[in-house]
Amino acid sequence: MFNVPRERAVPFGCVTPAPVGEQPMMITGNWREWRPVIDHEICNLCMNCVVFCPDACWQLNAEEDEVVWNAKYCKGCRVCITECSTEALTKAYELDFDDGVVRLEKPF
Amino acid sequence: MAHVHEITIWTRGVVKDKEGRDVANGIAKAADKEGKFTQAFDNYVDLPDRVNVPLRKYARISDQDIEMKYDYENEKPEVVVVVDATIVKGINVLRGVEGDGILVVNTKRSPDEILKFIPEKSQLKAIACVDADGISGTSTVDFSGTEGGVDTVGLGAGISAPLLGAVARATGLVKLESLAGVVQNKNALFKGHETTVIKTLH
Repeated sequence: MFNVPRERAVPFGCVTPAPVGEQPMMITGNWREWRPVIDHEICNLCMNCVVFCPDACWQLNAEEDEVVWNAKYCKGCRVCITECSTEALTKAYELDFDDGVVRLEKPF
Repeated sequence: MAHVHEITIWTRGVVKDKEGRDVANGIAKAADKEGKFTQAFDNYVDLPDRVNVPLRKYARISDQDIEMKYDYENEKPEVVVVVDATIVKGINVLRGVEGDGILVVNTKRSPDEILKFIPEKSQLKAIACVDADGISGTSTVDFSGTEGGVDTVGLGAGISAPLLGAVARATGLVKLESLAGVVQNKNALFKGHETTVIKTLH
């Protein structure tokens, strides 16, 4: 038998605020071997990459009118390259780039 | 207690898990043939692994009985083997190395290109690069041989063989002849030993 004050009683399960922006505890950028590279000249903003990315690494920058890639969370699954309707996305080996270094102390 | 040589292997989950394990088991088995006391095991906290997640395998070599039985992580590795080169961008692979460390990387690139991504170069004595993917090109995906279990597939059939050759050449902890006694793909082992590019830093 539990005596829970009425004002503190909560239903089973609970409501937590959805993460807004980024979740620093779940960085997955160090899983990546290949990264997608976008050619903004060819991109027609079909939003396939934004829709299909499982980690929401592609976001529309409405001011610049282009999609932006997030290196911190992209784990290199390359579904965006498969789904790209105009072949604006191509894959490139990660060691070709100096940026995108995550370097965590622990794997996850 | 005599000095324990600690070897840490960084690999990628599932796709290169068996190859990383083969490097750890191969070093331990070869040193065991030379009459040393050895241990080889997976890193418990990294398991269960998921595809491409960086994870660790450990090996230990000593001239006397290893008494650190319940230390299940290598705190101060001397040798770090990186089975997939892109891990150097994602993880501080040299954590715990106290100078004079040796880094063995599976890449066709030059040691200088890998050193670009190493934050503390003073921890390293030498870096060795071997194109293991180019030499054997296959990665066995299997769970046999985990935690002392029976290895039904066999040790060192894929990219672990040239990596073991590179470890023998860069560190001298184990002899090439004793590795040849445990590794399946002996041609890849010898070719890895020959083609390893070593750069000494100090």
